[in-house]
Amino acid sequence: MNKLTGTIVHIESSEHMSMVDVDVKGDIFSSIVLETPETASYLKVGRAVTLMFKETEVSIGKNLSGQISLRNRFGAVIRSIEASGILAKVLLDYQSVQIVSVISARSAVKLNLKKGDSVEWLVKTNEVSLLTEKG
Amino acid sequence: MLNDLQPLFLTFELAAITTLILVVLGIPLAYWIAFSKSKLKYIVEPLVSMPLVLPPTVLGFYILLAFSPKYFLGHYLESTFDIRIAFSFVGLVIGSVFFSLPFMVNPIKSGFENFPVSLIEASYVLGKSKWETLIKVILPNIKPALFAGFVMAFAHTIGEFGVVLMVGGNIPGETRVASIAIFSEVEALNYDKANFYSLILVAISFCILFGFYYFNRKSVKIF
Amino acid sequence: MMHTSQGQEWLDVDLKVEKGGFSTFFGESGAGKTTLLRIVAGLTDPAEGYIEVDGEVWFDSKRKINLPVQQRKVGFVFQDYSLFPNMTVRENIRYALADKNQENIIDGWLAAMDLKGLEHERPQKISGGQKQRVALVRALVSSPKILLLDEPLSALDVNLRLKLQDEILKIYQKTKITTILVSHDLSEVFKLSQRVLVLEQGKIVKSGQPHEVFSNQNLSGKFKFVGTIVDIQKDAILSIITVQIGNNLTKVVATDEELKDLKVGDKVVVASKAFNPLLMKYDGR
Repeated sequence: MNKLTGTIVHIESSEHMSMVDVDVKGDIFSSIVLETPETASYLKVGRAVTLMFKETEVSIGKNLSGQISLRNRFGAVIRSIEASGILAKVLLDYQSVQIVSVISARSAVKLNLKKGDSVEWLVKTNEVSLLTEKG
Repeated sequence: MLNDLQPLFLTFELAAITTLILVVLGIPLAYWIAFSKSKLKYIVEPLVSMPLVLPPTVLGFYILLAFSPKYFLGHYLESTFDIRIAFSFVGLVIGSVFFSLPFMVNPIKSGFENFPVSLIEASYVLGKSKWETLIKVILPNIKPALFAGFVMAFAHTIGEFGVVLMVGGNIPGETRVASIAIFSEVEALNYDKANFYSLILVAISFCILFGFYYFNRKSVKIF
Repeated sequence: MMHTSQGQEWLDVDLKVEKGGFSTFFGESGAGKTTLLRIVAGLTDPAEGYIEVDGEVWFDSKRKINLPVQQRKVGFVFQDYSLFPNMTVRENIRYALADKNQENIIDGWLAAMDLKGLEHERPQKISGGQKQRVALVRALVSSPKILLLDEPLSALDVNLRLKLQDEILKIYQKTKITTILVSHDLSEVFKLSQRVLVLEQGKIVKSGQPHEVFSNQNLSGKFKFVGTIVDIQKDAILSIITVQIGNNLTKVVATDEELKDLKVGDKVVVASKAFNPLLMKYDGR
């Protein structure tokens, strides 16, 4: 489980859903949740939250060009790669926090990922969960 | 012949009257011991069971003393009501009631204590008083315990000797019950008569206990 | 405010229940739900407090008022049904009848609850679900002001529970009797109650409509279950964890980091964003 802590900076709601923008050390992450500020008390601008997303939902891009629908894309440096069988685990250094990505071993070879490479990592807004402290 | 049977009739008369009195006394006493929160029950409970451990002569001695015309209670009864307890059938009944008290109270008390509290509460919630709950819910459901109390008190009174001898003496037709008759016949070396009484007591006691265990097993199953 | 000491635990609550409403005390066992219900019924005396029902004071420790359980006019359905073994089904119900001339009420209920053929049976001869119905009818014919249900369905299997939930709901809608249910079953709470009061360690921590109370979770994942790890299969990079949720086994993949503190037998929350699960009509295959 990847975890990042940040602060809610913006909430945009429809009737049953909200798009929540979270500031993590200057980068803005987005998360879609099935709640609105009316139904969930933690949905408040300024509230500290933890972003959580599964390793298998983190994609990696190198020399990305063109347009992409993913809103959460951030730069990072590869700390290490561990390939075994059909999967590969890529450890990324993102703002000194470790982000783990599990991708297929084929992709790791195709992208020629190596330790020290600068890459971009991406996660879909609907894969990001928000966790708040109790209360 | 009828004269010979008299001690047996007396024995069963005594046992029946004693059991009847104990039903009236024992059920409320057992209920109180089982459900009361009073500290007094910690004194009453051992007192009830004292006859189980004391020699019957001790109990007989004190009853005799209490009802002796020389002392207050006996004197009062004799001078005011012309009742003489010592060496009379009434005295025997009083002695037997005390002596068989634990045999009536203890099984019924266990019956009350083991009865599910939730059933009592269910009755109270339905607006029923303690009395109605006792009569309609508790007693019908502890029949085996009640039965045990009745039978044990009855059977135990039949087998009583020490208290009877102390309190009642050996007056034919008045206090000479079967157990005393056996004793006097043996003393008089009338072994045939002693054997006659003894055999009848053995047979009857066996029948009572057999019936008790047989029916109790059945009723326990239903319960 | 009501207080009671139950062992070392203290119960300290202040609550109001709607007249004619269906409320639930929800919480783990030991949270004080049943004790609270017993205090309302008058079966347990609180150390101090105040209880008022429909303008009538039932308990007030300051004024030394304590209305006896017999006079409180509550219908109480016990967890173990508490039917009288010496009475038949019909006699159990008749015992509760305040006015003995209203035998026809019994017939109505027996027919409505599908108990007609069993009226002369003893409780020990009928099934758990039937016992529960008899207990419910017995509580209702005494025309109580409040119906108190102490986990009435917890001893029954799932199918029977669902059926009896429907019946309780039907009875409630018909009689509109003020009802308080004690339950630790979420689906039961959602299905039956208009209001839920969540008890934790003798205190009410939340109250409101069930969907308000239970949707305000700290994790925004909507696809969320509590289960028990029954198996862990190590594989390269990702391990496969089998989690039992209810009667179903599910498989979830996890990295070594996620597995670090987990072992077989641990209780876990399995959560996903509501966007991920696929939904298809179930045709029984």
